[in-house]
Amino acid sequence: MTSLFHFKTTAGHRHNYPQVVCPNHAVIGGNRHVMTSKSTVNPSVLRLNKYGTPAIDSPKERVAWVVDTKSPSTGKFGRFGGKFVAETLISALEELEVVFHQVLQDPEFQEELTTALKDYVGRETPLYYAERLTAHYKAQNMGRGPDIYIKREDLAHLGAHKMNNALAQAIIAKRMGLTAVIAATGAGQHGIATAAACAKFGLSCTIFMGTADMEKQPSSVDLMNLLGAKVRPTAGSFKDATSDSIRDWTEKLGEVYYLAGTAVGPHPCPTMVREFQSVIGRETRRQAAEKWGGTPDAVVACVGSGSNALGIFHEFVRDPTVRLIGVEAAGFGLNTGKHAATLAAGEVGVYHGAMSYLLQDEEGQITCPHSVGVGMEYPGVAPELSFLKETGRMEFYSASDEEAVEAYRRVARLEGILPALEASHAFAYLEKLCPTMPDGAKIIISCSGRGEKDTETVFNYPIS
Amino acid sequence: MAIRAAATSAPTARSSSALSLPPPISSSSSYSSAQLSFGRAKSTTRPRTTVGCAISCTMTREAAAVTSTEKDDSDPALWSRPDSFGRFGKFGGKYVPETLMYALTELESAFNSVKNDPDFQASKLCISAVKAELGGILKDYVGRETPLYFAERLTDHYRRPNGEGPHIYLKREDLNHTGAHKINNAIGQVLLAKRLGKKRIIAETGAGQHGVATATVCARFGLECIIYMGAQDMERQSLNVFRMRLLGAEVRGVHSGTATLKDATSEAIRDWVTNVESTHYILGSVAGPHPYPMMVREFHKVIGEETRRQAMEKWGGKPDILVACVGGGSNAMGLFEDFVKDKDVRLIGVEAAGLGLDSGKHAATLTKGEVGVLHGAMSYLLQDDDGQIIEPHSISAGLDYPGVGPEHSFLKEKGRAEYYCVTDEEALEAFKRVSRLEGIIPALETSHALAYLEKLCPTLPDKTKVVLNCSGRGDKDVQTAIKYLKV
Repeated sequence: MTSLFHFKTTAGHRHNYPQVVCPNHAVIGGNRHVMTSKSTVNPSVLRLNKYGTPAIDSPKERVAWVVDTKSPSTGKFGRFGGKFVAETLISALEELEVVFHQVLQDPEFQEELTTALKDYVGRETPLYYAERLTAHYKAQNMGRGPDIYIKREDLAHLGAHKMNNALAQAIIAKRMGLTAVIAATGAGQHGIATAAACAKFGLSCTIFMGTADMEKQPSSVDLMNLLGAKVRPTAGSFKDATSDSIRDWTEKLGEVYYLAGTAVGPHPCPTMVREFQSVIGRETRRQAAEKWGGTPDAVVACVGSGSNALGIFHEFVRDPTVRLIGVEAAGFGLNTGKHAATLAAGEVGVYHGAMSYLLQDEEGQITCPHSVGVGMEYPGVAPELSFLKETGRMEFYSASDEEAVEAYRRVARLEGILPALEASHAFAYLEKLCPTMPDGAKIIISCSGRGEKDTETVFNYPIS
Repeated sequence: MAIRAAATSAPTARSSSALSLPPPISSSSSYSSAQLSFGRAKSTTRPRTTVGCAISCTMTREAAAVTSTEKDDSDPALWSRPDSFGRFGKFGGKYVPETLMYALTELESAFNSVKNDPDFQASKLCISAVKAELGGILKDYVGRETPLYFAERLTDHYRRPNGEGPHIYLKREDLNHTGAHKINNAIGQVLLAKRLGKKRIIAETGAGQHGVATATVCARFGLECIIYMGAQDMERQSLNVFRMRLLGAEVRGVHSGTATLKDATSEAIRDWVTNVESTHYILGSVAGPHPYPMMVREFHKVIGEETRRQAMEKWGGKPDILVACVGGGSNAMGLFEDFVKDKDVRLIGVEAAGLGLDSGKHAATLTKGEVGVLHGAMSYLLQDDDGQIIEPHSISAGLDYPGVGPEHSFLKEKGRAEYYCVTDEEALEAFKRVSRLEGIIPALETSHALAYLEKLCPTLPDKTKVVLNCSGRGDKDVQTAIKYLKV
């Protein structure tokens, strides 16, 4: 299949990869990757958008092309994704991929996972009609506006969507006969979820966490310790902890299981995490059908590295009438350099084993992102989301620290729900979205976590 | 504390007969010889002035009627829980100032009218997911039904060397919105208040949990919310105070007395007496004057009803034993209620022994308390020889209550439920154990029930089904636990 386009890496000096000009083969970092894509779009249409992907106006055709272009076997999402890792890790990744495909087909695994998700995590989480939030926006627009539904991932065990994935992968680790698990965490939610899943299955657990994050989130560290995990400090923040944990994995291949927390990293990690989080979207579709006999008009989710967004988006990617809206962290503002809006302000490069958008300075050094929502502070983003951005399937915006804190307060006051500061970014975007939506349109917003952990931050946040 | 009996005007003639009272009953007296005792010598009213004017006179006149139910003693299905006076045997009742009597009667009739109203009814609607007020809210907002979770590693932990041991299931009330069972009742009461046309909600809180649950629910329904909190408690729990304010509630500090829970309760009651037409008082537990113990139990009984159905699904039978921690008693009544008439189901409540029963620093009301009147109801309570309330102690704020719901006192006296207690240290050990074995961090209150498993499980035959109410999550207790456990 001839590729419709060829592409260049723009990773910058730090990564030292050559430019790729041959459309079908790329020799990158010593590994051969065959990049192919098939498409149902008429090959004579070669009009490209600014990213070099086909500019398709019809939503239906765009969706069809998107679905076709994802290549599960090589972990490529268009030009994004892949396995940019040291040769030593390749066999481990391939083994993981084999096991992953096995468990997907295994009814025993599915039953164990479904029971655990139901009895341990508390699924399915409700799709809750936010009456007062809806009324709030309608009142600003002469009684007309969208109906707002909240997908309550904050009600999951330990208060975030992270548990869905940690549980499934812990079961996989057990199957592979591995008794030790390692993971990296930023804000701590993934670390806590992994520690809990390991406690439940009797696996030993080591969590890598940046010292800067440990200082910002001491309660997360306490929780991990309580759950029996060992927390290994790394100088720096999440990006450094991730690098460290991948290094540790490389040293201890065959002894430890690396539990990826979000949809980044080398294939098959992004696909695995997305697959296990997509239970969110599947439930949402069913609940929407029950409640109003249709699909949502828009699905809104915050985007840190992208696992909760993909979890709810994935199910709806092939529905052309469903708008997928991601909201990133604008921190102090997109032009201040102190933000974490990777899709908005980043460039394409390879980071942590995958090609994706990332935040880098002129010298190609990874910048330190900032957000009041610590879970948003990742300088990269899921390759699959990069793909959805460039194909125009997903819209992305951002919300500042101040807007997020304001949204936290608003949702608390109107609905008695404290959304995590990360999720508050999605709620903040409603301010701009609702006035543009027709009366009675259905918006589903993902409340990816609960915000008790952020009360102190909001308490100390200077009110303008 | 106890309702100030001298709050209203001079005693009326008919109530003066209440002043010549028989000697107070002790807690060990048998039921058949019990008479209504307004417990002058052992009462908790302060100061010890004439009590009669504030006590419901119908009780005095109808005293004989209460003892006539003794012939239905053995069959739990025939017990009146409560009877028309709000009594569970001799416990319960309505020991409140006259001004509150009308509000309580109004509340009771409102509750009775919605109890059977299909639009309002809770548990059935949870199951069938029919669009209706309470059921819809419990499902979509609170997150019911909560799972009945087989705790595999905890079960393994208690397995004896020969491989035998009980099966332990946890009823996951910790997964509710706000992280505890309290919201079931808060939601029910706020919906009731709305039906009554009340726009103003008041509550008191100690550590802040009940305050946060009340503020949450008021935010959801757009009602004015005022939380009374002791000034001392406000200092210790500033984050909870902030949380309540974030949720739109007004938190009023109480500086009188010791500036803690009991003073906040008095202030809240004073507010209610003053504003009774516009205001509903959300009591957080199965304590207080009738109809609160019954109402709060009814709003929580969805826990037990779900458990029955889930047990049938999981192993085709009923639980053998139900275990729950007991502070005021609401989570325990919520789990027990549906099974009280099943005589083959053991009901076990676990209280806080604090620093030890002999230390005097505990909250083991049913073990060490005596009968008296507190917060409008007759029940067991911790009092000294002068009838003054003893300040209780427990590492967990929710169990730190000197009284207990009257229905628990009744179930204990009838021998239908067993009550034990567990120290701070044992609870902390259980907190750590369950976190490490199951990845579930239980509230310190719940940890008391979990700690009792250490004593219970070795005595149980193989495959006994134990259901323990995991009444809340322990994120709020991590700092306390870490300090003591030095994890």
